[in-house]
Amino acid sequence: MSSDTVLIDRIQTGELEAWEELIARFEGRLLAFVESRLGRRSAGEDVVQETFIGFLTSLPNYDRSRPLESYLFSIAAHKLTDHLRREGRRPALPLSTGQSSLDQIDLPGKDRPASSILRSGERRQIEASALAEALAEQIDRWKQREEWEKIKCAELLFVAGWQNKRAAEALGISEQTVANQKFEFLERLRNSLRKQRLSEDLFPELYENN
Amino acid sequence: MDFTTAELQAYLDESLPVEKMAAVEETLRRDPSLLSALETINGRRDAGVHSLGEIWRRNRLTCPTRQQLGSYLLNILSDDQAGYIRFHLDTIGCRYCQANLTDLKSQQAPPAIAQRRKKYLQSSAGYLKSRR
Repeated sequence: MSSDTVLIDRIQTGELEAWEELIARFEGRLLAFVESRLGRRSAGEDVVQETFIGFLTSLPNYDRSRPLESYLFSIAAHKLTDHLRREGRRPALPLSTGQSSLDQIDLPGKDRPASSILRSGERRQIEASALAEALAEQIDRWKQREEWEKIKCAELLFVAGWQNKRAAEALGISEQTVANQKFEFLERLRNSLRKQRLSEDLFPELYENN
Repeated sequence: MDFTTAELQAYLDESLPVEKMAAVEETLRRDPSLLSALETINGRRDAGVHSLGEIWRRNRLTCPTRQQLGSYLLNILSDDQAGYIRFHLDTIGCRYCQANLTDLKSQQAPPAIAQRRKKYLQSSAGYLKSRR
């Protein structure tokens, strides 16, 4: 059992010392996260305070398979977004598009309407987990082989969304090398997801970026 | 200013680097097409389309551990490992890892930290189960 899990067990019994320990463990990084965006210490402390209260009120629904730090950061991000909306810095966007907007969604390379792949949240979570596992497996393989350039290349292409040319320039390698690494990476992911019989419609990037 | 789809996804999740978050917000005030692009991304999410970048980022698949960040600060990692962490912090601009690093660097100022922790504890303890 991880130290975070033990700590949460103690917090769920109402142990004040455990709660004090969680605050001590995480408040600094949460404040740094929030303050970097707000630029003001006092407002940042207010958002962190709301984050901790939000954590306690959501604790009965906390999925323990999720790392505690990531969960706290996600609550902080929501509280920060709320704060910025109240200040008028961040425009409000519809949280959910509803059916009329869904009709406008253009699924790349497919003629079928998006609504035909609407499905349960649970199913979507299974798909997301399958992709996360496939990604983690590939990244671990690179780490074990110390192939840092390949990790950087994939991260630039898919996390930052850069084009091949820009990634090649940043890494000091040829565009062809980037294209080869991208192809190899996507092919491995596709194989992994095929084994789990997951539809390619759900992961358009894996099929359109070759 | 142009933004990649991956950057707009990160914006929606409040995880884009701070300067880019501000740039998106500034552009949103004068360019309605950007709002439409964000709504389209939300629509794709609603439709259940998965994005590699989103899943990578949300699962923090390449974030170094806090211990590794500490070792990075102490300059005791190999050149390659340190080079990757620098890339993740500076080029990718991971907000969570930047926050951890800032926190690790600020550990030398205990009085202010103790005061903050006390404030958080006092304001939230009433929400603990047995104290309601």
